This record gives sequence, structure tokens and C-alpha cells, in this order.
Amino acid sequence: MSQQPNKQRHLITVTNPRSPVSEAFRALRTNIDFSSIDERIQVIMVTSSGPEEGKSTVSANLAAAYAQADKKVLLIDGDLRKPTAHKTFTLSNRYGLSSLLSQQADQTDVIQDSGVPNLSIMTSGPIPPNPAEMMASNRMSMVLQELRQRFDMILIDTPPLLAVTDAQIVASKSDGVIMVVSYGKVKRDIAVKAKANLDRVGAKMLGVVLNNVKRKASEGYYYYYYGN
Amino acid sequence: MSAQELDLRDYFRIVRKRMWMIISIVIVACVIAGVYSLYIKNPVYEASTKIIVNQTPTQSTVGQLDLNQINTNIQLINTYKEIIKTPAILDAVTQDYPQFNITTEELLKKVNVSSVNNTQVMTLVVRDNSYPKAAEIVNAISQVFKERIPSLFNVQNVSILNEAKVDPPIQPGPVEPNVIMNLAIAFIVSLMIGLGIAFLLEYLDDTLKTEADIERYLGLPTIAMITRLGQDEGKTSPADSHVQQARKAGELDHVTAAK
Repeated sequence: MSQQPNKQRHLITVTNPRSPVSEAFRALRTNIDFSSIDERIQVIMVTSSGPEEGKSTVSANLAAAYAQADKKVLLIDGDLRKPTAHKTFTLSNRYGLSSLLSQQADQTDVIQDSGVPNLSIMTSGPIPPNPAEMMASNRMSMVLQELRQRFDMILIDTPPLLAVTDAQIVASKSDGVIMVVSYGKVKRDIAVKAKANLDRVGAKMLGVVLNNVKRKASEGYYYYYYGN
Repeated sequence: MSAQELDLRDYFRIVRKRMWMIISIVIVACVIAGVYSLYIKNPVYEASTKIIVNQTPTQSTVGQLDLNQINTNIQLINTYKEIIKTPAILDAVTQDYPQFNITTEELLKKVNVSSVNNTQVMTLVVRDNSYPKAAEIVNAISQVFKERIPSLFNVQNVSILNEAKVDPPIQPGPVEPNVIMNLAIAFIVSLMIGLGIAFLLEYLDDTLKTEADIERYLGLPTIAMITRLGQDEGKTSPADSHVQQARKAGELDHVTAAK
């Protein structure tokens, strides 16, 4: 982790594991683990209604939080339109999900080591002309099936729900969906519409992550540097 | 914490959130009011004379004050107050003093007559943009009134107590605009408007903000609240973060080992 990109999208759970934000990600991990009793939640999709709400940040940090709990975690950058995972982890995006789906590379080529123990990354790969068709393909289902054998936890970062249909397709293939809602940015009817899109494909909604909350608004969370 | 039942803390929160908007509205309004009062609005000066109404002691006994007489005078003052404001007096003023260059209607707007209750004194007040002119006009009206009243009432019972000084040693300040009053009004009104806008914006803001909002509109639980990154965490200087990095690495291992 010596090469920290000077981006705002940094891995707080790795760089500052004791911060309250990291604590919130661990709480998120715990809540997901306990949200389902009978079914095993292995493939989690992270999405949001609109762009720039923090999907990639949440998925990367949640993946790191799972990795810190000694689980074998794979983070897939399923945003084949505006990929970011390779920037977050400073990895090559020469091969990735799109190359795997178009059979130009095999799994060993596209799963890269993130630098965080237990955490592997599958970047998006070159941006294809038909992301939605790729996501909907049988090959995608097969790939996920194979990956389920190799990893304890698979997180998929997706494009925004209301912009393109990719997230809906991925939702139907995952065990659970997390919807990121940026504090004070998403209008009620937009969020309701996004949720309806997910319901239509029968996605299992795990819950909402309220992101970018102002610290004052979350004063109820008094674990701020508790026991430091 | 639903929208219907805002409690007092919510009001404080709304005000605090848009504090800068409210403050800037108030400041802008006060500055506009101040500039308007001090530089744009023409100042208005006021000059006054006092006139005493007293029956000449022809009908009454000399040297003895008759209560009935005084009461009659007091009643007369009400009549005089109206007479001054009639063309009978004001037309004469405009004719006798052409240097004022003023019409009877304009004059009527400038003149105000008042009397203190149960006294025989009445006060004639004239407002104008220039103090000397106000004083001259008020003196002129008093003079004309005094001259004309015997022809109207057949009695010689009006005398001028004091004339307005046309050139007083100390220049009197304008009575209008009242800068402090205007500022106070601007302050209060703009504060109300600012608060109104703040509450209106809050009411119109239909974005999701609380767990209760999410539960109510989406029917989903909030499984995490992530605070904005980079308030203290993101703002570590490069040198600082190096030290932290070294320390953090050890801690991270410790944390994972403990799990």
C-alpha cells in the first residue's frame, strides 16, 4: 500500500482502519452478514440511482473490510462504461471482465492481486461496445458460478441504475443488492424509481448505504474514536 | 422525526444550516436600506411655529381669566386647524409669497397642524427638503393666518408665540429619512424573509437524508451510514501520512491477527 493514489477515492479501511468511517464499513459488513439467515449471501452488487454517489468507494472499502475479516474476497468492476477500480488500486486495466466475457483472456489473467491481503480485483477490462449484452450473457452467469467456488465473497461494482440497464441485469445474477444513496442528493421519487427497477428483476435488496453523511447529521453515532 | 412534527431542535438545525444565506440576506437588505436612507433619499427638514389663540378681552372682564372663555378658545382651535388647511389661507400664501414657487396642493401636503389637548396653543409644522425654506413657509403661513383670521371671524384673538428661525445657529438635522428606523425595519423584515426562505427551501427539499426517510419511501433498512470522507482522514499531509503509514501497518496486522 505504498502507492496511494492522490484520488478522493481512497481505501480508508486500509489506510486508517481505526477511523469512524472504517468502523462504519465494518458495521456494514456485519449488517450484511446478519441480514440473511437461511440463504448464503456470496455475490453482492453495489449500485445507486445516479452517478457519483460513491458506489466504487463503498464497494472497494467493503471489499477491504471483508478481506480484513480473513475472507477471500473478489471485487469485480462491473462498470463497463466508466470503470474506476483499476485507478483505485493502481492496477492495469488491459485485461478484465470484458476480456473474460469475450473470451480473450482466462480467469488467471484477469484476477489481479490488490496489495491488500485476501483481496483480489477483477478490473473492467477494455470498454466494450455492448456492455448490457455482455452482462446478460450466459457466459457471465457461468463466470460468476465458477468464481463462487474460488472466493468467499464477490462484490460487483455496477453503473448507476437509472442511467443504464446493466445494474438490473447484474442484480438478477447476484445474491444481494446494496443501494448507495448519497446524503441530500437523491430525490425521493428518483430513489423510489431506482428501487422499483431492482424489484422488477427480483433482486434481493439488502438495504441502503447512506453515503456522504455530514458528520453533524450522524452525531447519533457516538463511537467516534471510542476507545482510542 | 417526520416532516409533520418538526420539533424545536429541527428548527434550530434548519436555521443553522442556512445561517449564511440568512445573514447575507440581512446584510444586503441593511446595506440597501442604509445607502438609500443616507445617499439617495432627499432629506426632509421640519420647521414649526406656535400660535396662541386668545380672545381679546373686549367682551370679558379685564384681568380675570374666564374658564368659559378658555374653553371656547380651545374649541376654536379645532376650527382654526381646519381653516389653515383651506384655500382661504393657503391660496393667500401662494399669492403673497410668489418666491416659494409652490402650488396650493403642494403646500397642503407640507403643512401639518396640531394642538396639544386642552391648551390654547397650536403648532404649525412644515416639512421641506431645505430647512430655511421650511422655516420661511411656516412663518409665511402663520403670518397670513394671523392677518386673515379677523376677516373670517371678526375677532382679533390670534398671536404668534414663536416664529421659526430661518437661520438658526445650529443647523437642525433632517427628520426624514430616519436612518436608524429604516435600518431596524430593514433588519427585521429581511430576517423574517430569510427565515421564511430557509424554511421554504427545507420544506421543498425532498432528497433522502435520514434513515427514517429511507425506511418510509423505499421500505428498506439503512445498513450503514458513511460519513463524508476527508475531513480529518483525507487531509493528512504527505509527511504526516508517512509516519502514520508505518504505524498503521503494524496496527493493521495486529487487528487482523486478533480476529
